[in-house]
Amino acid sequence: MRSVRLISLFSSLLLLTGCWDQAQLNETKLIRAAGFDYLKNGKIRNTASIPQYLNTESGAGPVNNQVFHAIGNTARQSRIKLDRKVSEQVEASKNLIVVLGEDAAKKDIYHILDVFYRDPKSALNARIAVAKGKASDVISAKFKETETTMGIGQYLNESVRSAEKSSIVPSENIQTICPVMFDPGQDFALPYLVPEKNDVSVKGVAVFHGYKMVGTIFGAQGVMFTLLTGKERHLSMSLTKKITNKHKDRIMNFVSIKVKQNKRTFKVDVTPDERISAHIKLDMKVVITEYPRDNLTTQKKIHSIEQALSKTLTKDANAILKELQDMNSDAFGVGRKLIAFHNPTWKKLDWNKEYPNINYTASVNVKVIGHGIIE
Amino acid sequence: MNSSHTITHRQLFFIITQSQIGVGVLSLPYTLFVKAKTDGWISLLLAGLFIQFSILAIWKLCEMYPKQTIFDFMPKIVGTKLGAVLNFLFVAHLFSVCVVLLILYNSVVSKWIFYQTPRLVVISMLALTCVYCITCTAREIARFLMLVSPLLLVMFIFVGYAYTDVHLLYAFPVGASGIKTILSGSTDALISLLGFDTALVFLAYTQGRSNSKLKAISYASLCVTLFYCFVTFTTYIFFNPVEIVIVPEPVLYMLKAFSFKILERTDLIFLSIWIVFVTTSLISYLFFTAKGVQSIFKLKHHKSAAPYVGIICALIASIPASKLDVQLWSKLIGMSALCCSGIFPIFLLLIAVIRKRKGKGKGAVST
Repeated sequence: MRSVRLISLFSSLLLLTGCWDQAQLNETKLIRAAGFDYLKNGKIRNTASIPQYLNTESGAGPVNNQVFHAIGNTARQSRIKLDRKVSEQVEASKNLIVVLGEDAAKKDIYHILDVFYRDPKSALNARIAVAKGKASDVISAKFKETETTMGIGQYLNESVRSAEKSSIVPSENIQTICPVMFDPGQDFALPYLVPEKNDVSVKGVAVFHGYKMVGTIFGAQGVMFTLLTGKERHLSMSLTKKITNKHKDRIMNFVSIKVKQNKRTFKVDVTPDERISAHIKLDMKVVITEYPRDNLTTQKKIHSIEQALSKTLTKDANAILKELQDMNSDAFGVGRKLIAFHNPTWKKLDWNKEYPNINYTASVNVKVIGHGIIE
Repeated sequence: MNSSHTITHRQLFFIITQSQIGVGVLSLPYTLFVKAKTDGWISLLLAGLFIQFSILAIWKLCEMYPKQTIFDFMPKIVGTKLGAVLNFLFVAHLFSVCVVLLILYNSVVSKWIFYQTPRLVVISMLALTCVYCITCTAREIARFLMLVSPLLLVMFIFVGYAYTDVHLLYAFPVGASGIKTILSGSTDALISLLGFDTALVFLAYTQGRSNSKLKAISYASLCVTLFYCFVTFTTYIFFNPVEIVIVPEPVLYMLKAFSFKILERTDLIFLSIWIVFVTTSLISYLFFTAKGVQSIFKLKHHKSAAPYVGIICALIASIPASKLDVQLWSKLIGMSALCCSGIFPIFLLLIAVIRKRKGKGKGAVST
C-alpha cells in the first residue's frame, strides 16, 4: 500500500512541467531590432532584424544578419505577416531597440507602440529611437559590424547606450516615455539616428510634443539639453567651449570640461495677473580636461575661466529653451509644475497656446573643482 | 481543546497579515484611482482606520466567548434556530470569498503567464495545494504563514526599486478630488483590506492575554495598510494619471520595465511571490470555511470537510470566462463580503451586548 502511494506520488511529479504554455527556443526566431515606417498609402511597414548566430568550433561565431520586411494596416498585422515570411515563430520578447522612421514619428507614435504596451511578453525595456528618413534604411544598413560581428540590434543598442553615457541623448526606453507621453504638462525626447555610408550615428535628439515629433536638436547642444533635464551626473558628460577670441592659434581659445556634478533648481512662478514665468538654474561643478594654455595657478585665472564658461553655457541654455518654445515642446515639464502647484491657473489656460509665450529663461553657474594632474 | 492546537499571539499577527495581503495588491492602485484619482492612497489610509472598528468588534466578541469560533457563539447570541440560518449564510459568504480569490488569481495568471493553460488546471493547482495545507491544525498553518512572511520584504524591495524612475510631481495637487470622492474610494479600499475577519476563527485558538491579542490584530492591519499605501503611492508617481486608467495591474506593469544584469522580467518573479500571498489568503479562508462546514454538519474534524470545500470552490471559480464576468463576480462578492466581514461583526456585538444587559437585568430582578 505504502509503495503504491509512493510510486503514484513520484509519477505525479512528471505532470508538474505542464504541457501548455511552452516556448521553445529552437522553435522561435528572436527579433533584436524592429523598425516602423508609414508608407504613402498609410500602411505600416515593419522591418525586423533577426540575427542567426553561426556556430563554429570556437563557440559563438559570426552572425548572419537577416532582415525581413512586411506591410500591414497596423503594427500588429505587419508583425503577423512577417511571421509568415520567417520559417519559425517570430518572438519580440528579446527586442533591444525600436526604430521609428521620421515620417512615422511625426504622426501619432502611440498608434504604433500600442502593440508593445499591450503584449505581456513584449520587451518594455527596449530602447527607442527615431531615424532620419526611413527606419528600414537604418535596420537594413549593411557594413562590417552589423554583418559579421554583432548584428544591427546590438550595434544600435550599444551606440545609443554610449551616447546616453556621454549625455548626448537622454536615456529612455519604451516604458519610461509612456507616462511622459500621456502627460499634458510634459514632453520627451528620443535619440535621433542618421544612417551614413559606413555606420549609423547618433546625431542628436528628436524632440516630441505629445505623441508627435516636432523637431531636432543636434550635436553638442544635446549635452546641454540633457543637463537641463536635471540629470545629476554621468560617466562622461563632456563639453568643449570657446571662451576667448584673443589667441591666433585656434585651438588655444578652447577649453574642455567634464561635468562632475549638476544641480538643477527649477522654478515656475505665476504672477497675480496670471503671467507665467519659468527659470532653470544649473549649478555645475566641473573638471577641466583640456586647456592648452596651462598655468591654472591663480584663483583669478580660474575665476575668469569660470565666468567665461558660465556666460557661454547660459547663452546655449537659453538658445535651447527658445528652440523648444518655438517647437512647442515642453521637454522639462513647466506644465507639470503648474498642474502640481498652480492647479487653478492650469485649469484655465490652453497650454499648447500659452507655452510658446511664457517667459522662460535659464542661467548656468560653473565652478571649477579640478584640473587633472597638471596645473 | 487540545493543547497542540493553540497558537501564540505573535503567530496570530502573521496569520492576519498573510490573510489580508492577497489578490488585491496588484490591482488595488488601479481600482482606487478610478474612484479617487491620485488621492487614492488617502482613501486607503481612511479605510485602514475604518476597519479598526470591525477589528475591535471581532476582538470583543471573541473575548466574550473565549475559545469559541463564530459558528459556536452565533447560536448563543441570536438563538439556536436563527443562529443555524446565519451560520449557513456566513459559510455561503466564505465560500464566495474563496471563489472570488480563485477567480481573480486565475485572471491574472492566465493573462500574464499561462495564456494557454486551461482555467480549471490553473485553479485546481492552487485550490488543491491549499486543501492539503488546511488538513493540519491551526498551529501548523500559523507556522507555514510565518515561514513565508519574509517574502513580504522581497516584494517591498521590488516595488521600492521603482523609485529609480518616478515623477514625484504626479502626486500633486494632494486632495484635489475632494473629501467625497476620497471617501467613496475607501469602500473599494476596504474590500482589498478584508482578511482580518479570519480572526473570528483564529482567535479561538490564540493563547495569551486579551490585550496582546488585540494588539496583534491591530498591528497586522496597520502593517498591511501601510504596505498597500506604499505600493499605491509608488504606482501613482510612476505612472501618469492619464496612463494609469489603461493599466489594470499597475504593479506588475511597472516591474515589467525593469531589468537587471542577471534578472530580466522582474514582473514574473514578483508574480511568483504574489502567488504565495494568494495561497496564504486562500489557506486561511478555506480553513475558516471548513470550520464552518464542520459545525453545520456537526463533523468530528474539519479535515473531512476540506476536500469538498476545495473542489466545490475550484469548480465554481472556473465558470466565469470573460473579463466582464470576472469583474461582475468580483464586484458583487466584494460588496457582500464587505457587509458580512466588515459590518456584520459590529451588529453581532451590539446584539450580544444588549442581550447580556437584559440577561443581567432579569437576574437582578429574580434575586
